[in-house]
Amino acid sequence: MTRGEHLRNLVLLGACAVALTILPHALTVYRRSFVLFTMMYVVLALSWNIISGFTGYTSFGHVAFYGIGAYACAILVADYRWHWIPTLGVGAVLAALIAVVIGYPVLRLKGPYFAIAMLGAAEGTRVVATVWDSLTHGGLGISLPSAETSLETYYAMVTLMLVTIVVAYGVGHSRFGIRLNAIREDEVAAEALGINATLYKLAAFTLSAVFPAVAGGIQAYKVLYIDPPAVFFVQITIAMALMSMLGGKGTVIGPIVGAVILYTAQELTWVNFPTAHLIAYGLFIVLVARFMPRGLVGLAIDRGWVRKGMIH
Amino acid sequence: MDGCSFVVPRGKISGLIGPNGSGKTTTFNLLTGLLEPDGGQVIYNGENLAGLKPYQIFRKGVTRTFQVTRIFREMTVLENMLSVTGLGVPERVARQRAEELIAFVNLGHLRSEYGGRLSYGQQKLLEFVRALMTDPDLILLDEPAAGVNRTLLQHLLDHMHRLQEQGKTIVIVEHDMNVIMNHCERIFVMDYGVKIAEGPPAEIQRDERVVEAYFGRRR
Repeated sequence: MTRGEHLRNLVLLGACAVALTILPHALTVYRRSFVLFTMMYVVLALSWNIISGFTGYTSFGHVAFYGIGAYACAILVADYRWHWIPTLGVGAVLAALIAVVIGYPVLRLKGPYFAIAMLGAAEGTRVVATVWDSLTHGGLGISLPSAETSLETYYAMVTLMLVTIVVAYGVGHSRFGIRLNAIREDEVAAEALGINATLYKLAAFTLSAVFPAVAGGIQAYKVLYIDPPAVFFVQITIAMALMSMLGGKGTVIGPIVGAVILYTAQELTWVNFPTAHLIAYGLFIVLVARFMPRGLVGLAIDRGWVRKGMIH
Repeated sequence: MDGCSFVVPRGKISGLIGPNGSGKTTTFNLLTGLLEPDGGQVIYNGENLAGLKPYQIFRKGVTRTFQVTRIFREMTVLENMLSVTGLGVPERVARQRAEELIAFVNLGHLRSEYGGRLSYGQQKLLEFVRALMTDPDLILLDEPAAGVNRTLLQHLLDHMHRLQEQGKTIVIVEHDMNVIMNHCERIFVMDYGVKIAEGPPAEIQRDERVVEAYFGRRR
Protein backbone atom coordinates (compact mmCIF):
# COMPACT_ATOMS: atom_id res chain seq x y z
CA MET A 1 0.00 0.00 0.00
CA THR A 2 1.09 3.47 -0.72
CA ARG A 3 1.10 6.22 1.85
CA GLY A 4 -1.95 7.77 0.17
CA GLU A 5 -3.91 4.54 0.51
CA HIS A 6 -3.01 4.19 4.16
CA LEU A 7 -4.18 7.75 4.72
CA ARG A 8 -7.45 7.05 2.88
CA ASN A 9 -8.07 3.98 5.03
CA LEU A 10 -7.31 5.93 8.17
CA VAL A 11 -9.85 8.58 7.16
CA LEU A 12 -12.42 5.84 6.46
CA LEU A 13 -11.82 4.30 9.87
CA GLY A 14 -12.10 7.74 11.49
CA ALA A 15 -15.44 8.27 9.76
CA CYS A 16 -16.62 4.88 11.05
CA ALA A 17 -15.52 5.83 14.55
CA VAL A 18 -17.47 9.10 14.43
CA ALA A 19 -20.56 7.36 13.05
CA LEU A 20 -20.42 4.63 15.70
CA THR A 21 -20.01 7.25 18.42
CA ILE A 22 -23.12 9.18 17.38
CA LEU A 23 -25.16 6.13 16.40
CA PRO A 24 -26.35 4.70 19.77
CA HIS A 25 -28.33 7.83 20.55
CA ALA A 26 -30.45 7.19 17.48
CA LEU A 27 -31.00 3.51 18.25
CA THR A 28 -33.37 1.47 20.37
CA VAL A 29 -31.76 -0.60 23.12
CA TYR A 30 -32.22 -3.74 21.03
CA ARG A 31 -30.53 -2.28 17.96
CA ARG A 32 -27.74 -0.91 20.10
CA SER A 33 -27.08 -4.43 21.35
CA PHE A 34 -27.14 -5.70 17.81
CA VAL A 35 -24.47 -3.22 16.76
CA LEU A 36 -22.41 -4.09 19.86
CA PHE A 37 -22.45 -7.80 19.10
CA THR A 38 -21.68 -7.18 15.44
CA MET A 39 -18.60 -5.24 16.53
CA MET A 40 -17.71 -8.05 18.92
CA TYR A 41 -17.70 -10.54 16.09
CA VAL A 42 -15.55 -8.19 14.00
CA VAL A 43 -13.05 -8.29 16.88
CA LEU A 44 -13.23 -12.08 17.17
CA ALA A 45 -12.91 -12.75 13.43
CA LEU A 46 -10.02 -10.28 13.01
CA SER A 47 -8.17 -11.83 15.95
CA TRP A 48 -8.67 -15.39 14.73
CA ASN A 49 -7.41 -14.23 11.36
CA ILE A 50 -4.03 -13.17 12.79
CA ILE A 51 -3.04 -16.74 13.65
CA SER A 52 -5.24 -18.63 11.22
CA GLY A 53 -5.39 -16.30 8.22
CA PHE A 54 -2.03 -14.50 8.25
CA THR A 55 -0.05 -17.40 9.73
CA GLY A 56 -2.03 -20.37 8.40
CA TYR A 57 -2.61 -22.13 11.73
CA THR A 58 -6.35 -22.80 11.76
CA SER A 59 -7.52 -22.64 15.36
CA PHE A 60 -10.70 -24.41 16.41
CA GLY A 61 -10.30 -23.38 20.01
CA HIS A 62 -10.12 -19.63 20.05
CA VAL A 63 -13.25 -19.38 22.17
CA ALA A 64 -11.00 -20.38 25.09
CA PHE A 65 -9.54 -16.86 25.22
CA TYR A 66 -12.95 -15.28 24.96
CA GLY A 67 -14.15 -17.43 27.86
CA ILE A 68 -11.08 -16.63 29.95
CA GLY A 69 -11.70 -12.91 29.47
CA ALA A 70 -15.37 -13.31 30.37
CA TYR A 71 -14.51 -15.20 33.55
CA ALA A 72 -11.78 -12.76 34.57
CA CYS A 73 -14.32 -9.95 34.38
CA ALA A 74 -17.16 -11.83 36.07
CA ILE A 75 -15.08 -13.15 38.97
CA LEU A 76 -13.35 -9.86 39.72
CA VAL A 77 -16.55 -7.82 39.49
CA ALA A 78 -18.87 -10.23 41.30
CA ASP A 79 -16.55 -11.61 44.00
CA TYR A 80 -13.89 -8.95 44.41
CA ARG A 81 -15.95 -5.86 43.72
CA TRP A 82 -13.59 -4.49 41.09
CA HIS A 83 -14.67 -1.84 38.66
CA TRP A 84 -15.28 -3.70 35.41
CA ILE A 85 -12.93 -1.75 33.14
CA PRO A 86 -9.62 -2.84 34.75
CA THR A 87 -10.81 -6.47 34.69
CA LEU A 88 -10.54 -6.30 30.90
CA GLY A 89 -6.81 -5.72 31.25
CA VAL A 90 -6.50 -8.66 33.65
CA GLY A 91 -8.36 -10.87 31.16
CA ALA A 92 -6.08 -9.74 28.33
CA VAL A 93 -2.88 -10.46 30.31
CA LEU A 94 -4.21 -13.80 31.50
CA ALA A 95 -5.19 -14.81 27.96
CA ALA A 96 -1.75 -13.78 26.68
CA LEU A 97 0.00 -15.89 29.34
CA ILE A 98 -2.20 -18.89 28.67
CA ALA A 99 -1.66 -18.42 24.93
CA VAL A 100 2.09 -18.69 25.46
CA VAL A 101 1.70 -21.79 27.62
CA ILE A 102 -0.70 -23.52 25.21
CA GLY A 103 0.92 -22.16 22.07
CA TYR A 104 4.47 -23.25 22.75
CA PRO A 105 3.73 -26.99 22.50
CA VAL A 106 0.63 -26.86 20.29
CA LEU A 107 2.11 -24.63 17.57
CA ARG A 108 4.55 -27.43 16.79
CA LEU A 109 1.62 -29.28 15.29
CA LYS A 110 0.45 -28.49 11.81
CA GLY A 111 -2.81 -28.47 9.86
CA PRO A 112 -5.58 -30.64 11.25
CA TYR A 113 -3.47 -31.72 14.22
CA PHE A 114 -3.16 -28.14 15.40
CA ALA A 115 -6.87 -27.53 14.81
CA ILE A 116 -7.88 -30.58 16.86
CA ALA A 117 -5.39 -29.79 19.62
CA MET A 118 -6.89 -26.31 19.93
CA LEU A 119 -10.38 -27.78 20.05
CA GLY A 120 -9.16 -29.94 22.92
CA ALA A 121 -7.51 -26.98 24.64
CA ALA A 122 -10.77 -25.01 24.53
CA GLU A 123 -12.80 -27.94 25.85
CA GLY A 124 -10.21 -28.41 28.58
CA THR A 125 -10.55 -24.79 29.60
CA ARG A 126 -14.32 -25.17 29.72
CA VAL A 127 -13.99 -28.22 31.95
CA VAL A 128 -11.63 -26.37 34.28
CA ALA A 129 -14.14 -23.50 34.50
CA THR A 130 -16.90 -26.00 35.31
CA VAL A 131 -14.97 -27.99 37.89
CA TRP A 132 -13.09 -25.24 39.74
CA ASP A 133 -16.08 -24.36 41.93
CA SER A 134 -14.28 -22.23 44.48
CA LEU A 135 -13.08 -19.79 41.82
CA THR A 136 -15.71 -19.93 39.07
CA HIS A 137 -18.86 -21.08 40.91
CA GLY A 138 -18.79 -24.05 38.51
CA GLY A 139 -21.86 -24.91 36.52
CA LEU A 140 -23.99 -22.41 38.41
CA GLY A 141 -22.34 -19.59 36.55
CA ILE A 142 -21.83 -16.05 37.83
CA SER A 143 -24.29 -13.19 38.02
CA LEU A 144 -22.74 -9.76 37.88
CA PRO A 145 -24.03 -6.83 39.90
CA SER A 146 -24.43 -3.97 37.53
CA ALA A 147 -25.11 -0.34 37.15
CA GLU A 148 -24.97 -0.84 33.41
CA THR A 149 -26.37 1.84 31.16
CA SER A 150 -25.65 -0.19 27.98
CA LEU A 151 -23.75 2.82 26.70
CA GLU A 152 -20.64 1.95 28.70
CA THR A 153 -20.27 -1.49 27.17
CA TYR A 154 -21.17 -0.09 23.76
CA TYR A 155 -18.38 2.45 23.83
CA ALA A 156 -15.96 -0.09 25.26
CA MET A 157 -16.70 -2.36 22.31
CA VAL A 158 -16.29 0.51 19.82
CA THR A 159 -12.89 1.25 21.33
CA LEU A 160 -11.84 -2.40 21.31
CA MET A 161 -12.94 -2.84 17.72
CA LEU A 162 -11.04 0.23 16.54
CA VAL A 163 -7.90 -0.89 18.35
CA THR A 164 -8.23 -4.41 16.92
CA ILE A 165 -8.68 -3.06 13.40
CA VAL A 166 -5.66 -0.78 13.72
CA VAL A 167 -3.49 -3.61 15.09
CA ALA A 168 -4.67 -6.14 12.49
CA TYR A 169 -4.12 -3.58 9.75
CA GLY A 170 -0.68 -2.73 11.09
CA VAL A 171 0.32 -6.38 11.31
CA GLY A 172 -1.15 -7.28 7.93
CA HIS A 173 0.62 -4.54 6.03
CA SER A 174 3.98 -4.80 7.75
CA ARG A 175 6.99 -6.98 7.09
CA PHE A 176 6.12 -8.77 10.34
CA GLY A 177 2.84 -9.75 8.69
CA ILE A 178 4.58 -10.71 5.46
CA ARG A 179 6.82 -13.03 7.43
CA LEU A 180 3.76 -14.60 9.06
CA ASN A 181 2.44 -15.14 5.52
CA ALA A 182 5.73 -16.80 4.59
CA ILE A 183 5.29 -19.26 7.47
CA ARG A 184 1.79 -20.00 6.19
CA GLU A 185 3.00 -20.57 2.64
CA ASP A 186 6.01 -22.74 3.41
CA GLU A 187 7.35 -22.98 6.92
CA VAL A 188 10.46 -24.94 5.96
CA ALA A 189 11.49 -22.38 3.36
CA ALA A 190 10.65 -19.55 5.77
CA GLU A 191 13.00 -21.06 8.38
CA ALA A 192 15.70 -21.60 5.79
CA LEU A 193 15.36 -17.90 4.87
CA GLY A 194 16.02 -16.66 8.35
CA ILE A 195 12.58 -16.55 9.94
CA ASN A 196 12.43 -17.86 13.50
CA ALA A 197 9.06 -19.52 12.93
CA THR A 198 8.53 -20.61 16.54
CA LEU A 199 8.90 -17.07 17.79
CA TYR A 200 6.75 -15.51 15.06
CA LYS A 201 3.98 -18.06 15.49
CA LEU A 202 3.95 -17.57 19.24
CA ALA A 203 3.78 -13.79 18.81
CA ALA A 204 0.90 -14.08 16.35
CA PHE A 205 -0.93 -16.57 18.55
CA THR A 206 -0.57 -14.42 21.66
CA LEU A 207 -1.72 -11.32 19.80
CA SER A 208 -4.73 -13.22 18.49
CA ALA A 209 -5.66 -14.26 22.03
CA VAL A 210 -5.66 -10.83 23.64
CA PHE A 211 -8.55 -9.13 21.84
CA PRO A 212 -11.06 -12.00 22.20
CA ALA A 213 -10.35 -11.97 25.95
CA VAL A 214 -11.23 -8.29 26.19
CA ALA A 215 -14.32 -8.90 24.04
CA GLY A 216 -15.33 -11.72 26.39
CA GLY A 217 -14.99 -9.39 29.38
CA ILE A 218 -17.13 -6.69 27.81
CA GLN A 219 -19.68 -9.29 26.81
CA ALA A 220 -19.86 -10.65 30.37
CA TYR A 221 -20.56 -7.19 31.75
CA LYS A 222 -23.08 -6.60 28.99
CA VAL A 223 -25.19 -9.72 29.56
CA LEU A 224 -24.58 -9.86 33.35
CA TYR A 225 -24.65 -13.61 33.60
CA ILE A 226 -22.14 -16.16 32.34
CA ASP A 227 -21.70 -19.89 32.71
CA PRO A 228 -19.21 -22.28 31.09
CA PRO A 229 -21.40 -23.55 28.22
CA ALA A 230 -22.22 -19.99 27.14
CA VAL A 231 -18.72 -18.50 27.06
CA PHE A 232 -16.85 -21.62 25.94
CA PHE A 233 -19.38 -22.34 23.22
CA VAL A 234 -17.67 -24.05 20.30
CA GLN A 235 -19.98 -22.30 17.88
CA ILE A 236 -18.28 -18.99 18.70
CA THR A 237 -15.00 -20.40 17.33
CA ILE A 238 -16.79 -21.69 14.26
CA ALA A 239 -18.31 -18.25 13.74
CA MET A 240 -14.83 -16.64 13.88
CA ALA A 241 -13.53 -19.07 11.29
CA LEU A 242 -16.52 -18.86 9.03
CA MET A 243 -16.70 -15.07 9.09
CA SER A 244 -13.02 -14.83 8.16
CA MET A 245 -13.39 -17.42 5.42
CA LEU A 246 -16.46 -15.78 3.94
CA GLY A 247 -14.84 -12.35 3.82
CA GLY A 248 -11.37 -13.58 2.95
CA LYS A 249 -8.81 -15.17 5.27
CA GLY A 250 -5.45 -13.51 5.44
CA THR A 251 -6.77 -10.06 4.58
CA VAL A 252 -7.82 -7.26 6.92
CA ILE A 253 -11.09 -6.19 5.35
CA GLY A 254 -12.25 -9.80 4.81
CA PRO A 255 -13.01 -10.79 8.41
CA ILE A 256 -14.69 -7.41 9.01
CA VAL A 257 -17.01 -7.84 6.02
CA GLY A 258 -17.61 -11.51 6.85
CA ALA A 259 -18.51 -10.74 10.47
CA VAL A 260 -20.97 -7.99 9.52
CA ILE A 261 -22.68 -10.11 6.85
CA LEU A 262 -22.91 -13.34 8.85
CA TYR A 263 -23.94 -11.78 12.15
CA THR A 264 -26.62 -9.72 10.42
CA ALA A 265 -27.90 -12.77 8.56
CA GLN A 266 -27.96 -14.74 11.80
CA GLU A 267 -29.85 -11.99 13.61
CA LEU A 268 -32.42 -11.71 10.84
CA THR A 269 -33.12 -15.44 10.71
CA TRP A 270 -33.04 -16.57 14.32
CA VAL A 271 -36.10 -14.60 15.40
CA ASN A 272 -38.30 -16.58 13.04
CA PHE A 273 -36.29 -19.76 12.71
CA PRO A 274 -34.35 -20.32 15.93
CA THR A 275 -32.15 -23.06 14.50
CA ALA A 276 -32.01 -21.87 10.90
CA HIS A 277 -28.68 -20.10 11.34
CA LEU A 278 -27.08 -23.36 12.44
CA ILE A 279 -28.17 -25.08 9.26
CA ALA A 280 -27.12 -22.01 7.31
CA TYR A 281 -23.69 -22.12 8.98
CA GLY A 282 -23.20 -25.71 7.89
CA LEU A 283 -24.29 -24.94 4.37
CA PHE A 284 -22.12 -21.84 4.25
CA ILE A 285 -18.99 -23.72 5.31
CA VAL A 286 -19.48 -26.15 2.46
CA LEU A 287 -20.32 -23.52 -0.15
CA VAL A 288 -17.55 -21.09 0.79
CA ALA A 289 -14.93 -23.85 0.97
CA ARG A 290 -16.03 -25.29 -2.37
CA PHE A 291 -16.68 -22.20 -4.48
CA MET A 292 -14.95 -19.34 -2.74
CA PRO A 293 -12.00 -20.67 -0.75
CA ARG A 294 -10.39 -17.25 -0.68
CA GLY A 295 -13.61 -15.47 0.26
CA LEU A 296 -15.19 -12.31 -1.06
CA VAL A 297 -11.88 -10.48 -1.10
CA GLY A 298 -10.35 -13.35 -3.08
CA LEU A 299 -13.18 -13.01 -5.55
CA ALA A 300 -12.58 -9.27 -5.82
CA ILE A 301 -8.88 -9.91 -6.41
CA ASP A 302 -9.61 -12.42 -9.18
CA ARG A 303 -11.91 -9.90 -10.85
CA GLY A 304 -9.17 -7.29 -10.67
CA TRP A 305 -11.08 -4.96 -8.33
CA VAL A 306 -8.53 -5.31 -5.58
CA ARG A 307 -4.77 -5.59 -5.94
CA LYS A 308 -2.94 -8.74 -4.96
CA GLY A 309 -0.81 -8.80 -1.86
CA MET A 310 -0.56 -6.77 1.32
CA ILE A 311 2.54 -4.71 0.54
CA HIS A 312 2.80 -2.82 -2.73
CA MET B 1 25.63 -39.87 4.22
CA ASP B 2 28.60 -41.53 5.78
CA GLY B 3 32.23 -40.58 6.07
CA CYS B 4 31.80 -37.87 3.50
CA SER B 5 34.18 -34.98 3.97
CA PHE B 6 35.04 -32.05 1.78
CA VAL B 7 36.25 -28.49 1.95
CA VAL B 8 34.64 -25.85 -0.26
CA PRO B 9 37.19 -23.23 -1.38
CA ARG B 10 36.22 -19.74 -0.23
CA GLY B 11 35.40 -17.22 -2.93
CA LYS B 12 35.07 -19.84 -5.65
CA ILE B 13 32.29 -21.57 -7.52
CA SER B 14 32.15 -25.27 -6.74
CA GLY B 15 29.96 -28.00 -8.14
CA LEU B 16 28.41 -30.95 -6.36
CA ILE B 17 27.39 -33.73 -8.71
CA GLY B 18 26.36 -37.33 -8.58
CA PRO B 19 23.63 -39.67 -9.81
CA ASN B 20 20.06 -39.33 -8.54
CA GLY B 21 19.79 -40.25 -4.90
CA SER B 22 23.50 -39.88 -4.24
CA GLY B 23 22.97 -37.41 -1.38
CA LYS B 24 23.52 -33.99 -2.94
CA THR B 25 20.34 -32.39 -1.63
CA THR B 26 20.82 -34.19 1.68
CA THR B 27 24.21 -32.49 1.87
CA PHE B 28 22.56 -29.11 1.36
CA ASN B 29 19.95 -29.94 3.99
CA LEU B 30 22.70 -30.82 6.46
CA LEU B 31 24.58 -27.62 5.68
CA THR B 32 21.51 -25.44 6.18
CA GLY B 33 20.12 -27.13 9.27
CA LEU B 34 17.03 -28.67 7.68
CA LEU B 35 18.49 -32.00 8.71
CA GLU B 36 20.50 -32.50 11.84
CA PRO B 37 23.55 -34.72 11.38
CA ASP B 38 23.81 -37.80 13.60
CA GLY B 39 27.51 -37.10 13.80
CA GLY B 40 30.22 -35.03 12.22
CA GLN B 41 30.67 -31.33 11.78
CA VAL B 42 29.77 -28.50 9.46
CA ILE B 43 32.48 -25.90 9.85
CA TYR B 44 31.81 -22.44 8.50
CA ASN B 45 34.11 -19.50 9.31
CA GLY B 46 35.70 -21.65 11.99
CA GLU B 47 32.38 -22.33 13.68
CA ASN B 48 30.49 -25.61 13.90
CA LEU B 49 27.00 -25.16 12.44
CA ALA B 50 25.82 -28.71 13.13
CA GLY B 51 22.78 -28.67 15.41
CA LEU B 52 21.89 -25.03 14.77
CA LYS B 53 18.39 -24.13 13.56
CA PRO B 54 17.96 -23.21 9.87
CA TYR B 55 17.20 -19.56 10.63
CA GLN B 56 20.35 -19.30 12.80
CA ILE B 57 22.50 -20.71 10.01
CA PHE B 58 20.87 -18.33 7.52
CA ARG B 59 21.71 -15.39 9.76
CA LYS B 60 25.37 -16.41 9.69
CA GLY B 61 25.34 -15.73 5.95
CA VAL B 62 24.46 -19.11 4.43
CA THR B 63 21.58 -19.15 1.98
CA ARG B 64 20.15 -21.64 -0.47
CA THR B 65 17.60 -22.39 -3.17
CA PHE B 66 15.62 -25.59 -3.48
CA GLN B 67 15.57 -28.28 -6.14
CA VAL B 68 11.81 -28.04 -6.44
CA THR B 69 11.17 -24.34 -5.97
CA ARG B 70 9.77 -23.25 -2.64
CA ILE B 71 8.58 -19.77 -3.38
CA PHE B 72 5.68 -18.40 -1.32
CA ARG B 73 2.85 -19.04 -3.74
CA GLU B 74 0.11 -16.79 -2.43
CA MET B 75 2.41 -13.87 -1.87
CA THR B 76 3.41 -11.41 -4.54
CA VAL B 77 6.89 -11.40 -6.05
CA LEU B 78 7.72 -8.27 -4.05
CA GLU B 79 6.42 -9.84 -0.83
CA ASN B 80 8.47 -12.96 -1.47
CA MET B 81 11.54 -10.76 -1.58
CA LEU B 82 10.67 -8.58 1.42
CA SER B 83 9.85 -11.53 3.67
CA VAL B 84 13.52 -12.50 3.76
CA THR B 85 14.89 -9.24 5.13
CA GLY B 86 15.10 -9.02 8.91
CA LEU B 87 12.86 -6.50 10.65
CA GLY B 88 15.93 -4.58 11.76
CA VAL B 89 16.64 -3.46 8.20
CA PRO B 90 14.83 -0.22 7.31
CA GLU B 91 11.88 -0.70 4.97
CA ARG B 92 13.29 1.67 2.35
CA VAL B 93 16.59 -0.22 2.14
CA ALA B 94 14.80 -3.59 1.86
CA ARG B 95 12.48 -2.31 -0.86
CA GLN B 96 15.28 -0.82 -2.90
CA ARG B 97 17.26 -4.04 -2.83
CA ALA B 98 14.13 -6.08 -3.66
CA GLU B 99 13.29 -3.87 -6.64
CA GLU B 100 16.86 -4.02 -7.96
CA LEU B 101 17.02 -7.79 -7.76
CA ILE B 102 13.55 -8.26 -9.26
CA ALA B 103 14.50 -6.00 -12.15
CA PHE B 104 17.77 -7.86 -12.56
CA VAL B 105 16.02 -11.15 -13.40
CA ASN B 106 13.46 -9.37 -15.58
CA LEU B 107 10.56 -9.94 -13.20
CA GLY B 108 9.86 -6.23 -12.74
CA HIS B 109 6.57 -6.37 -14.61
CA LEU B 110 5.45 -9.25 -12.36
CA ARG B 111 6.33 -7.65 -9.04
CA SER B 112 2.66 -7.56 -7.97
CA GLU B 113 1.80 -11.03 -9.26
CA TYR B 114 1.42 -14.03 -6.98
CA GLY B 115 4.51 -16.19 -6.89
CA GLY B 116 2.39 -19.23 -7.67
CA ARG B 117 1.27 -17.72 -10.97
CA LEU B 118 4.81 -17.46 -12.36
CA SER B 119 6.14 -20.03 -14.79
CA TYR B 120 8.50 -22.60 -13.34
CA GLY B 121 11.53 -20.90 -14.81
CA GLN B 122 10.44 -17.56 -13.41
CA GLN B 123 9.94 -19.17 -10.02
CA LYS B 124 13.51 -20.47 -10.20
CA LEU B 125 14.74 -16.95 -10.87
CA LEU B 126 12.64 -15.51 -8.09
CA GLU B 127 14.03 -18.06 -5.69
CA PHE B 128 17.56 -17.26 -6.81
CA VAL B 129 17.25 -13.53 -6.19
CA ARG B 130 15.22 -14.07 -3.02
CA ALA B 131 18.22 -15.96 -1.65
CA LEU B 132 20.37 -12.89 -2.37
CA MET B 133 18.21 -10.39 -0.45
CA THR B 134 20.42 -10.41 2.63
CA ASP B 135 23.75 -10.34 0.78
CA PRO B 136 24.89 -13.79 1.97
CA ASP B 137 28.47 -15.03 1.82
CA LEU B 138 27.83 -18.68 1.04
CA ILE B 139 25.22 -19.43 -1.61
CA LEU B 140 23.99 -22.98 -2.18
CA LEU B 141 22.07 -23.44 -5.43
CA ASP B 142 20.12 -26.66 -5.90
CA GLU B 143 19.71 -27.21 -9.66
CA PRO B 144 19.49 -23.55 -10.69
CA ALA B 145 19.43 -24.38 -14.41
CA ALA B 146 16.51 -26.82 -14.44
CA GLY B 147 13.58 -25.30 -16.32
CA VAL B 148 15.26 -21.97 -16.98
CA ASN B 149 15.59 -20.95 -20.64
CA ARG B 150 19.04 -20.46 -22.18
CA THR B 151 18.99 -16.67 -22.29
CA LEU B 152 17.94 -16.31 -18.68
CA LEU B 153 20.32 -19.06 -17.63
CA GLN B 154 23.22 -17.18 -19.20
CA HIS B 155 22.09 -14.10 -17.35
CA LEU B 156 21.94 -16.05 -14.10
CA LEU B 157 25.37 -17.56 -14.64
CA ASP B 158 26.85 -14.16 -15.41
CA HIS B 159 25.43 -12.90 -12.17
CA MET B 160 26.88 -15.85 -10.34
CA HIS B 161 30.34 -14.95 -11.59
CA ARG B 162 29.82 -11.35 -10.57
CA LEU B 163 28.92 -12.55 -7.06
CA GLN B 164 32.05 -14.65 -7.02
CA GLU B 165 34.14 -11.66 -8.03
CA GLN B 166 32.68 -9.88 -5.01
CA GLY B 167 34.14 -12.65 -2.87
CA LYS B 168 31.08 -14.86 -2.44
CA THR B 169 31.37 -18.61 -2.18
CA ILE B 170 28.97 -20.56 -4.35
CA VAL B 171 28.14 -24.26 -4.47
CA ILE B 172 25.93 -25.64 -7.24
CA VAL B 173 24.14 -28.94 -7.43
CA GLU B 174 23.37 -29.43 -11.09
CA HIS B 175 22.66 -32.14 -13.63
CA ASP B 176 23.52 -29.91 -16.58
CA MET B 177 27.16 -30.88 -17.14
CA ASN B 178 27.84 -27.86 -19.34
CA VAL B 179 27.03 -25.60 -16.43
CA ILE B 180 29.13 -27.64 -14.05
CA MET B 181 32.16 -28.11 -16.30
CA ASN B 182 32.27 -24.55 -17.65
CA HIS B 183 31.55 -22.61 -14.51
CA CYS B 184 32.93 -24.51 -11.54
CA GLU B 185 36.53 -24.38 -10.44
CA ARG B 186 36.26 -27.40 -8.22
CA ILE B 187 33.92 -30.34 -8.43
CA PHE B 188 32.86 -32.87 -5.81
CA VAL B 189 31.29 -36.12 -6.95
CA MET B 190 29.04 -38.13 -4.69
CA ASP B 191 27.54 -41.58 -4.95
CA TYR B 192 25.55 -43.46 -2.28
CA GLY B 193 26.24 -40.77 0.29
CA VAL B 194 30.03 -40.89 -0.12
CA LYS B 195 32.41 -38.57 -1.90
CA ILE B 196 33.95 -40.59 -4.71
CA ALA B 197 36.01 -37.92 -6.42
CA GLU B 198 37.13 -34.33 -6.15
CA GLY B 199 39.07 -32.04 -8.43
CA PRO B 200 39.02 -29.47 -11.23
CA PRO B 201 36.62 -30.15 -14.17
CA ALA B 202 39.20 -31.56 -16.54
CA GLU B 203 40.29 -34.12 -14.00
CA ILE B 204 36.76 -35.14 -13.07
CA GLN B 205 35.80 -35.72 -16.70
CA ARG B 206 38.58 -38.31 -17.03
CA ASP B 207 37.96 -39.95 -13.66
CA GLU B 208 37.07 -43.64 -14.00
CA ARG B 209 35.03 -43.79 -10.78
CA VAL B 210 32.88 -40.89 -11.87
CA VAL B 211 32.14 -42.39 -15.26
CA GLU B 212 31.34 -45.64 -13.51
CA ALA B 213 28.97 -44.02 -11.03
CA TYR B 214 27.07 -42.35 -13.82
CA PHE B 215 27.10 -45.02 -16.50
CA GLY B 216 27.94 -48.24 -14.72
CA ARG B 217 31.08 -50.37 -14.98
CA ARG B 218 32.63 -50.84 -18.39
CA ARG B 219 32.57 -54.41 -19.64
